[in-house]
Amino acid sequence: MDNLKYFLKRLLQTIPILLGVCLIIFLLFHIVSGDPTHLILGKNATKQQMAELREQLGLNRHWFIQYLDVVKSAFTFDFGSSWATKQNIANMVKEGITPSLTLTLPAFIISTIFSLMLGVLVAYYRGGKVDRYVRVICICGMSIPSLSYILFFQWSLAYKLGWFDISGYDFGFPNFIPYIILPGIIWIILSIGPDVRFFRTVILDELYQDYVRTARAKGLNEVTVLFKHVLKNTLIPIITYVVIQLPYLILGALLLESFFSIPGLGGLILSALNNNDFPVLKAMAILSSIAIIIFSLITDFLYTLADPRVKLK
Amino acid sequence: MIESVLRTSRIIMDKIIEENPISDSLYKSAFIRMVKDPSTMLALTVVMIYTVTAILSALGMVATDWNLEVGTSYAAPSLEHWLGTDIFGRSVLTKVIHGTQVAMSVGFFTCLIAIPIGVLLGAIAGYFGGIVDDFVVWFYNTLSSIPSIMLIISISLIMGRGLLAVYVALGATSWVNLCRLIRAEVMKHKNREYVQAAHALGAGNARRLFRHILPNIFHIVIINTSLQFQTAIKSEVILSFLGIGVQGQPSWGTMIDDAKLELARGVWWQLFAATVAMFIIVLAFNILGDALRDALDPKIKGK
Amino acid sequence: MFLVLRSSLTWLLLIFVTASCAKKDDYSQKILYERIEQNVKGFDPIHSNDYYSSREVGKVYEGLLEFHYLKRPYTVTPNLAKEMPQVSKNGLTYTFKIIPGVLFHDDECFPGGIGRELVAEDFVYSFKRLADPKLVATGWWLFDEKIKGLNEWRNAQKDTAISDYSASIEGVKALDKYTLQFVLSKPFPQFLYGLAMSFSYVVPKEAVDKYGAEFINHPVGTGPFTLKVYSPQTNKIEYYKNKKFRDKFYPSEGEESDKANGLLADAGKKVPFLDKIVSYIMVEHNPAWLAILKGEIDEFKLPKDNLSQAITDMNGPTEELKSRGIEVVVERALDVTYSGFNTQFELFKNNPKLRQAMSHAYDAGTANELFYHNQGILAQTPIPPGIAGYDENYKNPNVGYDLEKAKKLLAEAGYPGGKGLPEITYDNLSDTLARQMAEFFSNSLAKIGVKIKPIFNTWPEMTKKIDRQSVQLFAISWIADYPDAENFLQLFYGPNASPGSNNSNFNDPAYNALFEKVSKMQDSKERTELYKKLARLGSEQLPWIFGVHRMNLRLKHSWLKNYKATEFKYGIEQYWDIDLEQKKLKKPQL
Repeated sequence: MDNLKYFLKRLLQTIPILLGVCLIIFLLFHIVSGDPTHLILGKNATKQQMAELREQLGLNRHWFIQYLDVVKSAFTFDFGSSWATKQNIANMVKEGITPSLTLTLPAFIISTIFSLMLGVLVAYYRGGKVDRYVRVICICGMSIPSLSYILFFQWSLAYKLGWFDISGYDFGFPNFIPYIILPGIIWIILSIGPDVRFFRTVILDELYQDYVRTARAKGLNEVTVLFKHVLKNTLIPIITYVVIQLPYLILGALLLESFFSIPGLGGLILSALNNNDFPVLKAMAILSSIAIIIFSLITDFLYTLADPRVKLK
Repeated sequence: MIESVLRTSRIIMDKIIEENPISDSLYKSAFIRMVKDPSTMLALTVVMIYTVTAILSALGMVATDWNLEVGTSYAAPSLEHWLGTDIFGRSVLTKVIHGTQVAMSVGFFTCLIAIPIGVLLGAIAGYFGGIVDDFVVWFYNTLSSIPSIMLIISISLIMGRGLLAVYVALGATSWVNLCRLIRAEVMKHKNREYVQAAHALGAGNARRLFRHILPNIFHIVIINTSLQFQTAIKSEVILSFLGIGVQGQPSWGTMIDDAKLELARGVWWQLFAATVAMFIIVLAFNILGDALRDALDPKIKGK
Repeated sequence: MFLVLRSSLTWLLLIFVTASCAKKDDYSQKILYERIEQNVKGFDPIHSNDYYSSREVGKVYEGLLEFHYLKRPYTVTPNLAKEMPQVSKNGLTYTFKIIPGVLFHDDECFPGGIGRELVAEDFVYSFKRLADPKLVATGWWLFDEKIKGLNEWRNAQKDTAISDYSASIEGVKALDKYTLQFVLSKPFPQFLYGLAMSFSYVVPKEAVDKYGAEFINHPVGTGPFTLKVYSPQTNKIEYYKNKKFRDKFYPSEGEESDKANGLLADAGKKVPFLDKIVSYIMVEHNPAWLAILKGEIDEFKLPKDNLSQAITDMNGPTEELKSRGIEVVVERALDVTYSGFNTQFELFKNNPKLRQAMSHAYDAGTANELFYHNQGILAQTPIPPGIAGYDENYKNPNVGYDLEKAKKLLAEAGYPGGKGLPEITYDNLSDTLARQMAEFFSNSLAKIGVKIKPIFNTWPEMTKKIDRQSVQLFAISWIADYPDAENFLQLFYGPNASPGSNNSNFNDPAYNALFEKVSKMQDSKERTELYKKLARLGSEQLPWIFGVHRMNLRLKHSWLKNYKATEFKYGIEQYWDIDLEQKKLKKPQL
């Protein structure tokens, strides 16, 4: 009951946040977007046609009504059509989710599992050689800019050695696999550093709790302590960490997608940016905000479910 | 990628907050600890060297002739041109040195914008609570719900692109973490005995907040700065790639961006030079950040 | 623990190995691989106003006429029309005969899924679509106020819920199944060019009715290639040869040099030659560059700011390209770049000397060297080479780098050494190239003491400022819509002032009068002479500081045959051919 009440309360709290998101997005894009008629109609637009279009797009209305339109679109998911491609934006987004997820989801799962294992390993050998080496590699890996990784790997592995396709994408289950491997590997390399460091910190934090000392004092060996007690208790921060990243997976990987020509949402944002296609940018900002809000709600709820110690406020 | 770094930093920072007020002696012992560690000292030296280079470059004392044609187009690294030349025959080494100025200034000004906002809003919200708190919390929740890349893009577009736009866009989007941390800390501290004592002695709100509480939680700001600094440097690359970065002078971001088309010709030195330059400073900040955390965060002591 | 780690590592390794077996090349079919550098706006002809979309539309759809693939200067030639139209004496009535037996592509929108025969009525329908105010066609400007009764029909549809396509219009009528008649409301000598442009391509009513708003993704045309469905998020478009394509043949005449270049080897053969076209949408230049070097795409337009990667200072291809058998084709763009004065702005309005001083201070030659690898042609008037009216020998007396003259003129204008002259704002787009050019421009003018403040805008911001006439000086370019000097000369025509295309708001009664006269004339020697005169009349008054006529460099592999550079790319792929033997031999070595 308490849980339900808390959840409802949190749900209500998201409404002002969503309205705020819409307001910020509206203000930002309303200022930058300017008059789109030339962008839509091209250099030869006639005066009459420009006036008609402005009327059709409702640009002559009071700003507050236009703001309400933005709010409405956040609920109906009807974002109209793109200025640059004339396509229905909701359709574009729908079609972009699959390629994005086929790239990010497997990469994310592999990198999370892999880093978690490494994290446990270095926590077990804390202070020792393994710990030091892994930490040094992680820090070094994190210090190289992502663009350099992409350029170097695309050039060396795909172009020079010819192991992978340089870029491209095919829809359908087995077809896309060859195209996502190289970008997937780069994704994994990029995320392993921060992930391992995070997992290590979380596990170490737990290792210095009183109950661990008690367990050791009782004569339990280190492996049992680590796996039976510590890992169980670190599950909450780990799950939180994982869940909170999920909306960003849907958002795709901006650089990877554009360099490997994967037709996902990251590439969509980039081409919208290049074409001043503000309705698409607006839609992407709203949708990803909604996703972030929803997933942070889920995290909160998981937290309360998984850990009775977290008192509901 | 900006997201993931920010996210990680937020979660790590969450973990390291502890209740103990930090006294002068802690700073002293932290300092001693850091001085004793050779890798920290090395990192500190690197940061100093980069800072001095950046300042000298800004004052027009080094690498002023980056725009000068010194050799043929795309000359490979040699004794004459240590890091080769770029498309216009300009020395890549000079460009990298000049790029230090952009990188360090992006880090510096981003912090200069983000930290006061974060500290001030966080402190006020935590101290006064009530409606002020509700508003600040709503504001940063709203902001953090919008992917920062979208915010950065639109702010840069409004500001008309260029270096100033980069400072503002990165600064305006990266104060949220710090604000959350400071708010939580101030909330804990405001009912502490030492604050109550100050109140009894007749100290006003402003005095209690700024003279008593803030100095005690200042270590959070220090740790956060080292993280924010390097995030900003890395973000500059992505902004350059998106075409909303620095214009008219060399930056590591534009050099890496240039490399997009150069690699196919086997011209690797521009990518290499900029990547290494950036690698060293970001690595130094990472090591420094870790050392600061270990030294200033009482809880992690002894691990 | 370690076991898990090790097994997962092996597993990962296994994936790499299986995946890294690159795909086998298919040499059994003639497949063209090409790169599109921007997203396509879908496949509705009436919206295809940009370079990329119109090219894709041209693969699937066709019009009455087409630009001749080989002949230069550009001329139009019959395509779906049987022959060139009969034109009435007053030049207002055009009567076309359509080739009988032309079939639309097979599609579900037709009964039984079999494409039906094209009839004259289809063109009437397509023109009404172009005019329909509810569709906001980006190609409407071309025929606005030109065809009798069409504007009236358009205005009548504004307030109706559903546009009435059954109403008959005097200006565009089907006389019988294969006869189509246009009646113009005023002389429009460029009309035939308009019929070769992608806006006026013919679409079947059945497809529009069936697919509605999604028609942009379901192209059903009569063209040489077919595309079942276009998905807006795809990065790969696959076209197949239209197996029911009518008997259309490769042209047997062209320019003199065509024979020597082997472009007439396939003369008289049935087109298209290709079995399939795979178009990759690759926005990033880097993967595209790697792909052409690897032979994974056959053709590629070099990004403007990276010319020196492909050509040496001697303007030949670089060694690397030569060794890979990649050829460089220079493509003259029909365009002009310029820095426009807002001639209505007080400072410039009544001060031709100031404009002349600034024009002479601008070092266009060095700019050409820096930004266009010396491949641009310095503009003297707006008309580019390749269009009748371009005068090779003409040198505009008020154009050309001459610092001394510029200084003198500036003093005569009342601002010796720039004294008393306010800072002039200079609006630009914000991409890298535009930024570098703006820096160069302001450095150039600083030499005579004119202070320029560059301002960088997004495209919508810039057009908004220009439309409101609130700019002072601005950098922009004009690309030809059709190969007729009128398209450039209208840029100085007073009544076209902003928000029209005359964005420097130039207004000279003598120029306007002559333009009105010339724009009604049919193509003739006399008209060409008048074009030249008109160009001089306008240009010497300096509404602009002239830039260059640009060029594009295209790279192609030697196995791609029948390749000729053209500015009008609608449907050119039907003439291209792939030499499979050569490709088989060369591609594996790359």
